Amino acid sequence: MAAAHAEHLEHHGPPAPHYSSRVTPGVLGMFLFIASEIMLFGSFFTAYFFVRVVNGTPWPTPPYHLPVYVAFINTCILVTSSFSMHWGLQSIKRGNVWGLRAGLLLTFLMGLSFLITQAIEYSRIGFNTTNGAFATIFFCLTGLHGVHVFVGLSILGFMTIRAFRGHFSAEEHHGVEIGGIYWHFVDVMWIVVYLTVYIL
Amino acid sequence: MRRGSIASLLGIGIVSGGIAAAVALAIPWLPVSASKEAGRIDFVFWFVVTICIVIFAIVSAAILYSVVVFRAAPDDDSDGPPIHGHTGLEIAWTIVPTILVTAIGIVSAIVLSQDDAIAKNAMNVNVTAQQFEWTFSYPEAHNLTSATLMLPRGRETVLHMQSRDVIHAFFVPEFRENEDIVPGLTTTLNVTPTRDGTYPVICNELCGLGHSTMRSTVTVMEPAAFDKWLKGQSKAVTSPSAATAGAAVFKNNGCAACHTLTAAKATGKVGPDLDKLPAEAQQAKQPLASFVRTSITDPNAYIQPGFPKNVMPQTFGKAIPKQQLDALVTYLINSSK
Amino acid sequence: MTAATLDPHEHHLTPSVRRGPVRRLLLGPGFIRAGWMFCLFGAIGFGLVVGFRWWGGWQPLFDMTPITLVSLLVAGPLGFLAGIGAFDYWTRYAIGSPTRPEDHSGHGARTWHDYFRVNTDHKVIGVQYLVTTIFFFIAGGFLAMLVRVQLARPGNHFFDPQTYNGLFSVHASLMIFLFVIPAFAGLANFVVPLMLGAPDMAFPRLNALSFWLLPIAGIMMLSSFLVPGGAFACGWTGYAPLCSTHQPLGAIFFNQGVQWAGASSIMTALNFLVTIITMRAPGLTFWRLPLLVWANFTTSLLVVIATPFIAGSQFFSMFDHVMHTAFFDPNNGGYPLGYQHIFWFYSHPAVYIMMLPGFGIMSEVISVFSRKPIFGYRLMALSLMAIVVLGFSVWAHHMFTSGMSSWLRVPMMVTTLLIAVPTGIKIFSWIATMWEGKLHFNTPMLFALGFLSMFVIGGLSGVMLGAVPIDIHVTDTYFIVAHLHYVLFGGSVFTIFAGIYYWFPKMTGRMYDERLGKLHFWLTFVGFNLTFFPMHLLGTEGMPRRVADYAPKFADLNMFISLASFGLGASVLVFLYNMITSWKNGPIAPANPWRALTLEWQVSSPPPIFNFDEIPQVVGSPYEYGVPGAQHAILAPSPTHAVEEVAAP
Ligand code: HEA
Ligand code: HEA
Ligand code: HEC
Ligand code: CUA
Ligand SMILES: [Cu+2]
Repeated sequence: MAAAHAEHLEHHGPPAPHYSSRVTPGVLGMFLFIASEIMLFGSFFTAYFFVRVVNGTPWPTPPYHLPVYVAFINTCILVTSSFSMHWGLQSIKRGNVWGLRAGLLLTFLMGLSFLITQAIEYSRIGFNTTNGAFATIFFCLTGLHGVHVFVGLSILGFMTIRAFRGHFSAEEHHGVEIGGIYWHFVDVMWIVVYLTVYIL
Repeated sequence: MRRGSIASLLGIGIVSGGIAAAVALAIPWLPVSASKEAGRIDFVFWFVVTICIVIFAIVSAAILYSVVVFRAAPDDDSDGPPIHGHTGLEIAWTIVPTILVTAIGIVSAIVLSQDDAIAKNAMNVNVTAQQFEWTFSYPEAHNLTSATLMLPRGRETVLHMQSRDVIHAFFVPEFRENEDIVPGLTTTLNVTPTRDGTYPVICNELCGLGHSTMRSTVTVMEPAAFDKWLKGQSKAVTSPSAATAGAAVFKNNGCAACHTLTAAKATGKVGPDLDKLPAEAQQAKQPLASFVRTSITDPNAYIQPGFPKNVMPQTFGKAIPKQQLDALVTYLINSSK
Repeated sequence: MTAATLDPHEHHLTPSVRRGPVRRLLLGPGFIRAGWMFCLFGAIGFGLVVGFRWWGGWQPLFDMTPITLVSLLVAGPLGFLAGIGAFDYWTRYAIGSPTRPEDHSGHGARTWHDYFRVNTDHKVIGVQYLVTTIFFFIAGGFLAMLVRVQLARPGNHFFDPQTYNGLFSVHASLMIFLFVIPAFAGLANFVVPLMLGAPDMAFPRLNALSFWLLPIAGIMMLSSFLVPGGAFACGWTGYAPLCSTHQPLGAIFFNQGVQWAGASSIMTALNFLVTIITMRAPGLTFWRLPLLVWANFTTSLLVVIATPFIAGSQFFSMFDHVMHTAFFDPNNGGYPLGYQHIFWFYSHPAVYIMMLPGFGIMSEVISVFSRKPIFGYRLMALSLMAIVVLGFSVWAHHMFTSGMSSWLRVPMMVTTLLIAVPTGIKIFSWIATMWEGKLHFNTPMLFALGFLSMFVIGGLSGVMLGAVPIDIHVTDTYFIVAHLHYVLFGGSVFTIFAGIYYWFPKMTGRMYDERLGKLHFWLTFVGFNLTFFPMHLLGTEGMPRRVADYAPKFADLNMFISLASFGLGASVLVFLYNMITSWKNGPIAPANPWRALTLEWQVSSPPPIFNFDEIPQVVGSPYEYGVPGAQHAILAPSPTHAVEEVAAP
């Protein structure tokens, strides 16, 4: 008994924690993180509300224009990427490693083209952050979202590397699942940003 | 609970409540009240303080009593009785505070609506705040401007306040009135002065390094005296004689605080000596009239060597109406010759 | 190559272990690598800004404001974190290379060196937190002493006004963002996993990262005194447009410092929530949780939901400063009051973030030292939830006179006043817990009693402020300063002291000196009241806050307050002396000196490296004092410790 215990200490392992909930910690953590991300976007939308509703700033403030159609195409790209993400995840759940790789790669490329389109849109839009409150809010909301796309892309990149190195399997694909949740969040957030900034 | 313990609990409660009440009554907590609004606010103050004293007395009595009576002997390792709760008590200490705070809320809301109501014959005063200066002007008297606030006793006054740069706040403790002045907005404040005297006007929102020096005064006077002051001043500033008008504008705007000007018996030393204006204009290589005008409306356009930038207020250009500015400029040119 | 062989837990030694000693020193995680990586990342940040400006053709090329922000305040600290080793595991994971085998060498502290490394043991992190926050408490308190020096008499020019404004701004920011909030997080870090019967937090590496963000934030705020133009000087509230466009460079040190501290606080809260939800020992249902865990659960909810708002407000203010955007610039379409709404939407909940964990500590201490169960356990937990919910609906009580729409005042007043009800429930329940108990006045209990009385005073002055007409008179006067110190010092700080004394034996394995502890309490209690009570009077008489100079009629009281505050400062020295000497050579502490039932006391002091040999089985409420034979949990008997603690059934 004593020897067994000494060995136990030698092994240095903690006792296996008792899981008191059906959700896994990673997924729960990601959902809570997304809750606070939503609040961060919420603070930006509050600023938007003050400028546009309380101050009654014309939207877009003449003489500026918003490229609604380009942004619409961009929206389509991003929404589609959510589906390819989902497809990748479903593939690996069924053990299809190549499906995962293709799904992730497709998602990554679509995300990248979104970001590049947005960068081009910025450079051609004809105003910059100093051109009044409308411009400020436009750049900050789309920029905040852009940063999230960038972070999402990095995560996608890491997942893709790991997928190609064969780290995921039908049993072990937490990384894809959690990263995927984040990517879906980024997409949904874009739809809200698109509707409020470009359409309304 | 035994009767004796109730009695001693009550005793402690009365003593601690009594001490608190004595502190409340013996110390002059509030400055004199010089407005109608102040009277109502003081009422809410004492109403809430009374409730607070009662609650404080109950809580401190219970704590003191427990500390004295339930102290365990040093070697006593036993546990207390395992009481887990008492529904009746718990309901009581949820309901009673709810009632008390509701009462506070109702009284406050009533007083608030009374203080916010604006009388029909209210007088208007425009207040301009900027780092770190006050300007008051009277739209009903040719926009007469003044560096200090003059108010008639008994007449409701509405202050319309604007800021040129950052947030300031208008605070007169004797009026119990306080409101921020936010750039981009016009905020208002109602005061009905009830007591003659001169009280401090305090900027009560951190506005930068000069925040603690951003002070002016408000003088409450007899309505008759006020009317006389207002008439006299507005007649003076609109008088066709540039000398009378200019002198009045110079006096109202507090120029004398910083400048020397023999004609106005001003001896300030913060800014340049205005008796020497022609020489200074020459030094600045500008025609005298336009030099004087821009020096007032945009002091930073030319800084007299040896004097600090950003000290002379930059509000005058906006606050002083054109006519009066003309008079002021003419007055300065004439009196510095 | 199959996926199974690449399981991240089964990997070979990392190359760095095989390197020579010099290279290991330079390349292995630690302060040396942190140093050069700070410079490297800073240089990259510098290059990015200058390169970008050059590419965009912006003049001037070397604009100090964006350069300072990007290279010194963002990239540099990231480099520091990378260098110290906070990202090592994730980097390896991300690029798909073999991760380090979990040999738990980053777990637990064997020598004091281990406290200066990225350590994933929640107990080590807890102690790291506490020591760091006490350091910032002293720094912030020292600034308060300087504030009192300036205010000792009117017309004092010891500091110029801008420096003075910097003093109290940094004082308050350090006290709030680097003392009270993280000190509670530190205590909870140590205690919560133990109370849950868990081996560690849910995300130990994230936990370590949360800690290392703190020194960054604190040093950033302190170092703002060194930049040209001086420290940020717009109060801890940083109102726009003063802070966003009318302040020197120091302002962004506040904006960015808050971001680091806020990120730390969000990550910790997230960690607590996940730990509490997923890692409770078998049998530990929510209605059996110790109230400290409840308190941290509710606080963490507040943090996760509210803190992003202060991040937002500081971003906007910083963008206005650095990129000349127009969030709060009224001449350009911005809305200055927007800052206050967004700021207070966080910062009012933040005052409960600074109080609820203290409520949790109080429930533990009062129950244990009264030898009685907590009175009305469920209502205690529910009132915490009520405060959380109500806390989100009162933010505009800081804006009663701000010029906001006047119709908002009455609803905000009502919700503000209603918060007195759940808070009152807690106060009355604690008193009922003491009633007929067997009170033991050890230092933690003294601080608990001090808290009870002082917090009630602070809370009642809060209710006065909640009544709009009173607030109109006393807002932004010393009455507010009195209120906030009564709730923050008399409330939060007293509970932090109580918690530190209470768990000191568990953390260090040694007892503190009881006599010094009591001396500390009495000096603090008396000094505190002498310092802050007269401020109520100053306030109602009309002395504004945040002024470097004041009317002569306030001279006597201010001199009195200054003298008292130096006494209060001296009391902290007693505390420090007690902590240091007791930690070094206090008597060895037993496992359970307070005869408490909660789980952390059922293991040795200090607890074993993985807390429990086997996860305990919880069988009852944690507060069953006085119930014969009651048990909270059954621990597996272990040969090394805790044998004697498990009572025979
Ligand atoms: C730990 C921090 C903490 C806590 C817990 C509180 C608690 C409360 N605070 Fe305080 N507050 C601050 C920290 C805190 N505050 C700070 C830092 C500021 C200044 C910010 C700045 O501008 O710099 C501030 C400012 C502040 C203001 C703005 C003042 C102004 O700037 O004009 C107001 C106004 O309503 C207010 C109200 C309250 C109320 C109603 C409570 C309530 O939660 C109190 C509830 C408790 C009790 C009431 C006591 C116990 C109850 C009973 C015994 C029951 C019976 C009671 C009754 C029936 C009344 N606070
Ligand atoms: C937890 C929060 C906390 C704590 C603990 C304190 C502690 C103290 N505070 Fe602070 N304070 C705030 C939070 C806090 N404060 C906030 C939020 C503000 C508002 C700021 C704003 O307007 O933006 C404020 C503002 C504030 C002001 C108003 C400034 C102004 O408006 O102009 C004053 C003035 O006296 C003050 C004083 C003190 C003092 C004397 C202490 C003392 O209790 C400090 C005691 C501690 C020590 C002294 C440190 C340790 C001791 C040593 C290092 C030993 C050596 C010391 C000597 C004896 C020299 N504080
Ligand atoms: C708070 C102090 C202050 C007040 C009040 C003030 N000034 Fe000045 N003034 C200065 C300072 C300092 C200068 C020098 C710096 C400069 O040129 O801007 C100055 C400069 C001037 C000049 C330029 C003189 C020169 O020689 O360059 C004129 C003209 C002038 N003030 C007129 C006025 C008038 C008229 C008023 C009232 C309506 C007034 N000032 C109120 C501080 C003040
Ligand atoms: Cu203006 Cu303070
Ligand atoms: Cu509040």
